Amino acid sequence: MSAHAPASTRNRELLFLIPAVLLTTVGFALVYTQKSSALTWYSLLYGVIFLALFAIAHVGRRVLAPYADPYLLPVTALLSTLGILVIYRINERLALEQALWLVVGLVVFLLVLVFVRDLRILRDYRFLIGIAGVLLLVFTAVFGRDINGAKLWVHLGPIGFQPGEFAKILLIIFFAAYLEDVREVLTVSTRRILGVPVPPFRYLAPLLGIWALSMALMIFMKDLGTSLLFFGALLALMYVATGRFFYVVVGLVLFIAGAALLYKVFPHVRLRVDVWLNPWKDPSNKGYQIVQSLFALAAGGLFGRGLGQGYLVLQNGHTIIPELPTDFIFSAIGEELGLVGAAAIILLFLIFMYRGFRTALRACDDFSRLLATGLTTIFALQAFLIMGGVMRLVPLTGITLPFVSYGGSSIVANFALLALLLRTSDSVARQQAAAQERLERGSARAAVSAAPVTGAPLKAGGA
Amino acid sequence: MERPLRRLFLVFTLLFAALFIMLAYVQVWAAPSLKTNPSNTRAVEAEMKVDRGTIYSADGVKLAVNTQSGPYFLREYPQGDLTSPWLGYNSLQYGRAGVERAYNEDLAGQSGLLGLNNYIDTILGQTHRGADLKLTINMAVQRAAASALGNRKGAVVALDPRTGAVLAMVSYPRYDPNQIDTLWTQLNANPDRPLINRATQGLYPPGSVFKIIVAGAALQEGAVTPQTPFDDPGTYLAGGYIVNNYGGEKYGKHTFAQAFAKSINTTFAKVGVQLGASTLATFASDFGFGKSPPWSLGGSASFFPAPGSMDKAHVAQASFGQGQVLATPMEIALSAAAVANGGTIVKPYLVDQVLDSNQKVLQQAKPQTWLQPLTSQTASTLRDLMVQVVQSGTGTSAAISGVQVAGKTGTAEVATGQPHAWFAGFAPAGSPRVVVAVVVENGGTGGAVAAPIAKQVIAAALGQ
Repeated sequence: MSAHAPASTRNRELLFLIPAVLLTTVGFALVYTQKSSALTWYSLLYGVIFLALFAIAHVGRRVLAPYADPYLLPVTALLSTLGILVIYRINERLALEQALWLVVGLVVFLLVLVFVRDLRILRDYRFLIGIAGVLLLVFTAVFGRDINGAKLWVHLGPIGFQPGEFAKILLIIFFAAYLEDVREVLTVSTRRILGVPVPPFRYLAPLLGIWALSMALMIFMKDLGTSLLFFGALLALMYVATGRFFYVVVGLVLFIAGAALLYKVFPHVRLRVDVWLNPWKDPSNKGYQIVQSLFALAAGGLFGRGLGQGYLVLQNGHTIIPELPTDFIFSAIGEELGLVGAAAIILLFLIFMYRGFRTALRACDDFSRLLATGLTTIFALQAFLIMGGVMRLVPLTGITLPFVSYGGSSIVANFALLALLLRTSDSVARQQAAAQERLERGSARAAVSAAPVTGAPLKAGGA
Repeated sequence: MERPLRRLFLVFTLLFAALFIMLAYVQVWAAPSLKTNPSNTRAVEAEMKVDRGTIYSADGVKLAVNTQSGPYFLREYPQGDLTSPWLGYNSLQYGRAGVERAYNEDLAGQSGLLGLNNYIDTILGQTHRGADLKLTINMAVQRAAASALGNRKGAVVALDPRTGAVLAMVSYPRYDPNQIDTLWTQLNANPDRPLINRATQGLYPPGSVFKIIVAGAALQEGAVTPQTPFDDPGTYLAGGYIVNNYGGEKYGKHTFAQAFAKSINTTFAKVGVQLGASTLATFASDFGFGKSPPWSLGGSASFFPAPGSMDKAHVAQASFGQGQVLATPMEIALSAAAVANGGTIVKPYLVDQVLDSNQKVLQQAKPQTWLQPLTSQTASTLRDLMVQVVQSGTGTSAAISGVQVAGKTGTAEVATGQPHAWFAGFAPAGSPRVVVAVVVENGGTGGAVAAPIAKQVIAAALGQ
């Protein structure tokens, strides 16, 4: 059984990649005809490029992580296809850049799969990784450029990137590894304060440090979104690691207290919240972005206005909604593809999240489980925060919709995240296959002379 | 670790479910109110994508055109302020007025078969072309009327009494419809109210032009003939109210025809009192008082008081168009048209044809009888009286050599300032092709101020 599973799994992935390729080809052809009222082979080029890119990704994954989850890559392909399609419709130049970033992302994806052959490497270098993550944030805080009130961008020559996107992943790896170390102590604590078990401070210190870091992020970089992400992921990880809801409560209390303080002290936080609560008070100025986003969604209705038919770009090339290809891409999808298309995006994220948590659930060791949980949480939380933000479910935070939004850092970082998740799922499946085989061999008492079972798939995969 | 993980997954599933519910709420449930939200410019954007129909004058002058800018069409009015009182505007910010408003469905291509085409165009993503309009306005007459009135507050209406086709309609002050968005606040605050069309919305005391209606009533009722003798001592006492002639004139012995030509108030007060309030009110109503203009372009209803509310003094004043009587220039033009057209008023109209983009006529205006206040015999008698006004009465400055012009002057006294100058007339008197009504606010006497304007408009309309 274990020998067949990967094979069928691989083909399943290939099968599920077909919709993504079809969508790209048909979508680009549609937008292209809409724009220049003539269909040329050029418009089909994107479909061909996409086919090639994801074929490479698929083969790479097949070779480097044969046991990995077969749904994650097709879901990613669909999300990035839809993303680049809508970006192309908004601004052709940006779509070309995004396509290049996709190539870079896939290279990074393969590199991560190549270099992280075993999750143990990550665990071994956990402190280095954690420090690198913090340094990236500090680097941003020091050298970052203020864009739209938030300090997220660092410019190295002509290329600007957002270190926060990468710091996010590094810190998740660190949390997962660190919590694996201390989870026993956190769970079995000796002291009690007010009847609540409290673990020794030195084990809590790094976590409090992260809390302080996320607060600092909000204060110095005005980056509400990343701060929320860190904190949410940290809480989720602590809860999963310890099984104690107490940490969640404490974390939430800390966060709410911090947020309340920031609301009082910092006008940009106050503005975000006030606009969320009542954007209609100033629809043409402070509430403009969210109000226009709601108008776009309303204009889309159930089935959307059709690709290229929405009211997205003004005559002068500016978009009606500022930050449309990045923060507000979901509104653009909502207008042009309607509730049906937007719900499909939500569904895709739901599938991604489900496969991620499934990997975590099946994991045999704590680090794999925590890593899968952390990566999935931060991914799903980011998707939730920005989608919820543009539809006014939660306050708006300036973060990207993973794989869909325009943005090199976001694309590359998320491909790295995907690679790590696939690596985790591969190693989980491998362990399970090994356990299964041990079980089968044990029950059959068949002494099949062979190399250690755990080694067999490794060889096959590595060949 | 499994239980918290499952719970975490559940929490996220619920969060995503919340996303879906909120999304459905925004996109479907709240969508209608969001679409009509005043801050939402999307409806405007959709309108801007329609290639709105061109509006032409009867003599082929383009009055409203589009300039294309990207996928959008911007409305322009090549004739500027000259056409604004009736053509109106199509503002994305402030809505529409005039023809642009009344014929919006045709211009935007939403009416009839064009609506179906519109739907198909939307599906195919093609530019939708609205219907063109060909108006009855003759720009030569319109220009002549506008330049004759000049920068004096007032209005001019010229129409064809046989068909009701409006040849010219001028109102001053007016505005440049190309700048409606920038001037809006200023125009609304202007006490002279440049946004209203004085020709159809301006209510003025008609003064002696109302004598057309009173004379029509008196002749038709058999109360007088043109030869009926009257004596004018200069005043007439009616219910404690002393009627004077304009300028305090005394005319002595005269006929009813002379009373009309010289516009003798005392005689008309006598005749009016003799006819009584209810007869005057009936005839006023038969001429169109109390009714809005019978077209889609709107306008005010002229006013004649309820007969029950009038005492003798009121009746006397109303008999020469003073007191509570109020009329629009359009109503006065239509009253004159009744005389010109054998006693019948044909409904006025401004849009002659609605044409599709292939210049196929979708709608053609047809003359329709509106009211018939006079018999053709009375109309003919009254016409002769009006000819005498221009020949030898108060309206001689409306006379044109080679054309017999019929008319009636009015000098409506107002509480403050100069009287409003009126003239209503038509030509050629034998077979009238044009009726003109002129009012100049606080302009002076009808004969000196309004009649020369009418003369120029008539001359332009008859191609002289």
